[in-house]
Amino acid sequence: MAIDVKNLVKSFHDGDRVTRVLKGITLSIDDGSFVAIIGRSGAGKSTFMYQMSLLDEPSEGDVIVEGRSTNEMTNAEETKFRLEKFGYVFQDYALVPELTAVENVALPLLMQGLPRERALADARAALTRVNLEAHLAQLPSQLSGGEQQRVSIARAIAHLPKVLFADEPTANLDRESSDGVMHIFGELHDAGQTIIMVTHELEYAHAAERIIRLDDGVVVSDERVPATERKRYPHPGLQAA
Amino acid sequence: MHFLTNIRVGWYLALRQVRRASVWTNTLIVFVMLLTFLNLVVVTGVLVGLVQGITNLYREQETGDVLISTLANQTDISHSPDIISFVKSLPQVTDLSARYVVGGTIEANYQTPPAPGETPNESAASIVGVDPATENAFSHISAFVGEGQYLSAGDYDAVLVGPQLIDRYSFGGDLLPNISALHNVYPGTKVRITVGTTTRVMTVKGILVTTANSPLASKVIMPENELRTLLGRNDYAVNQIAVNVAPGTDTTAFANLLRASGIGADAKVQTAQEAIPAGVAEVEGTFASIGNAIGSIGLVVAAVTIFIVIFINAITRRKFIGILKGIGISGEAIELAYVFQSLMYALVGSAIGLAIVYGFLVPYFGAHPIKLPISDAVIVAPVSGTALRVLLLVVTTAIAGYVPARLIVRKNTLDSILGRN
Repeated sequence: MAIDVKNLVKSFHDGDRVTRVLKGITLSIDDGSFVAIIGRSGAGKSTFMYQMSLLDEPSEGDVIVEGRSTNEMTNAEETKFRLEKFGYVFQDYALVPELTAVENVALPLLMQGLPRERALADARAALTRVNLEAHLAQLPSQLSGGEQQRVSIARAIAHLPKVLFADEPTANLDRESSDGVMHIFGELHDAGQTIIMVTHELEYAHAAERIIRLDDGVVVSDERVPATERKRYPHPGLQAA
Repeated sequence: MHFLTNIRVGWYLALRQVRRASVWTNTLIVFVMLLTFLNLVVVTGVLVGLVQGITNLYREQETGDVLISTLANQTDISHSPDIISFVKSLPQVTDLSARYVVGGTIEANYQTPPAPGETPNESAASIVGVDPATENAFSHISAFVGEGQYLSAGDYDAVLVGPQLIDRYSFGGDLLPNISALHNVYPGTKVRITVGTTTRVMTVKGILVTTANSPLASKVIMPENELRTLLGRNDYAVNQIAVNVAPGTDTTAFANLLRASGIGADAKVQTAQEAIPAGVAEVEGTFASIGNAIGSIGLVVAAVTIFIVIFINAITRRKFIGILKGIGISGEAIELAYVFQSLMYALVGSAIGLAIVYGFLVPYFGAHPIKLPISDAVIVAPVSGTALRVLLLVVTTAIAGYVPARLIVRKNTLDSILGRN
């Protein structure tokens, strides 16, 4: 799924004061690519991701997904689109505290109308994919930060989304757990998953094949990372997480 | 299909949120629901039960299941002996008591004329003649003799006096027209009974102790032959025939049977419900309205409680609600999750309340009525009325759960996720 961003502007109003956070961004994300969006704090990288991922509506410009302008989508269509086409990994894991790991992952699948057993089976498969098959019945409070983030990834990929959005996925994790998350992203990308990741950690950005740097709401650089320079994160770190 | 999915996901979330919520939180909310249910059912039930207690007293102590009484334009029931024989022969009848009932007065201290300005120690009363053994078998009246003794068939000049006629038992009796409670009357006291122009001095054998609304409260009771003598009546024409029928008998159908048999030409035939004074039904309606008013306040309290609980729950979970919306869970499913939670609390509270009401309160107070001055109150909780109250509670709770959830869910998804106002 390709995402085309055209002259994207996002402004926030505070009384009479208008703050332009994104100042006319135009770019395309190719299907199957792994893109890292970097920049200093306040550069607009998360805001940019929220517009692309339909979590927010741009003030001006357009985001075109699968040939459709998101400006033309109703709220219900956007919700359905997010449910079926996108997956999200948030900085603070964002798991429902009363649901076990497998229940958290199964939730969007149930919302898609899958029968309960099928949803739970797919959720188990997704958790196995992130090496959490031994923690299926545990509540988020019983898991470490790294494990919670892996549950979050499992929830984001269980329904085989077209695009996986990750907003600072390693910001709250220790080194070992962060490496584990990046290992999973690497594996997913190898399998053809489109990934758009916001990060302020340059090292992890080098796991992507393309790095877009924002500053003050504009794209200041957009570089391809040669395959030889891409950083790969090994499996053992994941297991220790 | 989408609606069913919303229901399914809403239930999935609600069930787990309740199951894994703090035990204390769940207990507190269910307790509030339970109190609300009891407030709705029991307060009304006790108020109606007060009147039901009076109704029961009338049925047990006067009307029986069916009362045959004097027609409005007659002084007694014509062909009484034939009617009594016929009624006794019916298989539905378990017991029967025939009574002579006339208006009269009872006077104490009659040998001492009242001082100037002083009212005579005299009261209007209903003078009743009964067969002591038959009446006792019918209404267990001897159980209400608080002072002295019950009547015997061979008693001469002996009477029982109801408590409203005695100053130390009377409940507001002095406020009623023509009734002034008698002073210094005890078992053995001589009283003067006047019926029409006939007066006779008799001895108080016993004093009944009942609630103020008992039909026995203002009666003077004597053996039937004594009253017949007082009235100079030898035709055995009685004024009341109270009939009890076997349990399960349709009293309305039985009353119709009696009317159809020709008794209706000589007497008024009424079921207990019809024979009980109209004012009692009006009081019952009034008390039910008061109970409903109190219950509706309880309902509002429950609604506000659930609203606050759900609102606080939703507002503290606003970020999660935003995330759920973000990952594609529909707002309707999230709202339904809160509605289902509210319904679970209401249903569990109601279920415990039902168990308490029908498993304990109704049978217990049925066997041990609450002793109150105006009647021995029971708890009246008809299933239909209770079901309506459960429905009211459930609907109110569902609305109280939906509104705060809706307020939070409708907020901008990203603002919720980021905690922005």
